[in-house]
Amino acid sequence: MDQGLRPGVKLRVLAASGQLGNGVPEAALKAGLARAPHVLGCDMGSIDVGPAYLGGGRLATSPAITKRDLRLVIHGARQVGVPLLIGSAGTAGARPHLDQALAMIHAIAKEDGLKLRVAVIAADMDRDWLRGMAQAGRVQPIGAIGALTSAIIDGAAHIVGQMGTEAFLRALAMEPDIILAGRACDTAVFAAVPLLLGYPAGPATHMAKIIECTSLCCIPGGRDAMLGTLMGDSFELESMNPARAATPVSVAAHSLYEQADPLRVHEPEGMMDTTDARYEAIDDRRVRVSGATWVPATQHSIKVEGATFVGERAVLLASTTDPRVIENRESIAAGVRRIVADILPGAGDYDLRFRAYGTGETNLFPGAREGLPVPAEVFFLLECIAGDADTAKAIIGVAKQNLLHFGFPGRLSTGGNIAFPFTPPELPAGTAYRYSVYHIAECDDLAAAFPVRMETVG
Amino acid sequence: MSGRRLIDIARVIRSKNAGPLHCTLDILFDDDATFREALASPAMTVEAMARLYGVSATTVEVIPYAAAHAIKVVLDRPVVAGSPGDSDVYGAQQHAPLLGVVL
Repeated sequence: MDQGLRPGVKLRVLAASGQLGNGVPEAALKAGLARAPHVLGCDMGSIDVGPAYLGGGRLATSPAITKRDLRLVIHGARQVGVPLLIGSAGTAGARPHLDQALAMIHAIAKEDGLKLRVAVIAADMDRDWLRGMAQAGRVQPIGAIGALTSAIIDGAAHIVGQMGTEAFLRALAMEPDIILAGRACDTAVFAAVPLLLGYPAGPATHMAKIIECTSLCCIPGGRDAMLGTLMGDSFELESMNPARAATPVSVAAHSLYEQADPLRVHEPEGMMDTTDARYEAIDDRRVRVSGATWVPATQHSIKVEGATFVGERAVLLASTTDPRVIENRESIAAGVRRIVADILPGAGDYDLRFRAYGTGETNLFPGAREGLPVPAEVFFLLECIAGDADTAKAIIGVAKQNLLHFGFPGRLSTGGNIAFPFTPPELPAGTAYRYSVYHIAECDDLAAAFPVRMETVG
Repeated sequence: MSGRRLIDIARVIRSKNAGPLHCTLDILFDDDATFREALASPAMTVEAMARLYGVSATTVEVIPYAAAHAIKVVLDRPVVAGSPGDSDVYGAQQHAPLLGVVL
């Protein structure tokens, strides 16, 4: 990893994918490899896709596409002889996600006759450690979520922490072909090699933060590979798809994306500040960026994420164009709810929701639901979450039949209040989870939190 | 210059989660002058955004970001993303009330 690379010498970091498993665009990846990058990085996960994947230990991406993408980037990195760094393996980066991604790498190595040294970094949080930190008052919520209690820790299906560059640096010291990391800061994947080689942390982290989404920072935005060339105090950005242009404003605007604070990014090892960043056009599709600073943390910390089981979900899909059904929808829902409770008194705790799309149902905030016009058509999504799948299905079935035939004052639609697009219109929707942990935990030993093991594959 | 609607002068009006506990709204303008005009408007204050979304002003932040001619509004999500009762897991469809805002 040496090659005389040091600040002042151009270090090329190729971001192959911001979401490995959704189909890496091949032409841009090839164009990036032709630029002789010194490291290939891929982000594979996110918390944004919702709690079902962390909770259920499942990938959000299709196994076939995920394996295709892994094959492309493994061969790409081997072709140019550089390390491949993969963060947030298998969507959520807990043990089952890491295992599934590693199994795919094993299969690819076997099928393609490759021998690979894979450094695997686990991101599952030790629950006793986390409980101790919570009890010591060293864990804080990141927003409107309650304090972290022992009951919440015990109840979570999986709890992961976001590792930073510290973990990648330990893995890089083992000189692996591939680093497969559990849940990781997206920046760490792309900043680790620059830090290993002594490049300054401010610009390195800023570059990483931008290229981790590949060409999303361009006009038009896309998922094509992005090349970051780090000089030291400045770096250059170029999309590997010639149709995408990075401009000073498009790159600066990317700092807004999925961030509460566009100027500061908090990592386990410190904070990156772009208040004084400068964005200059090199030509019509390349940008030079400088000026980001790095403030090392006096206390290391880890963002911890956990998801817990809620129940089994079943849904009903139906619609109406009858103005009287639309007008009386709330009283009809209340009536159906009563009938369900009468027919299934032993169903235990369940959650039955009537969503009436067309009436502002998408809006999370109450102000956004005011003053909307009365729709000519409404789509009903009935959702039931119960303790087991059979109960959820039974409740949704009873709700369906009674919604269809519910009598109300002024009713004209005695043939049925709703239309079904197909049968069966009531469907099992799998296991429901919710995020129960989204906190910052202080950490005195990052190396213990994110252990690395070396595995020889093939 | 006042009385213009955001939908007519903004280049991008979008929403997205920033983690599962926050929803952020980004309004991007073509140039610095339009950004300054919007930022100075009483329709773009914390209080005005709280009224528009029907939430308490203590759960709202308005952050100007001059480098991208942009204003970011950060709202506490009323429901943790993906929990029962959520209606927009990614938070990508919460920007509609902004479209009709008159500066």
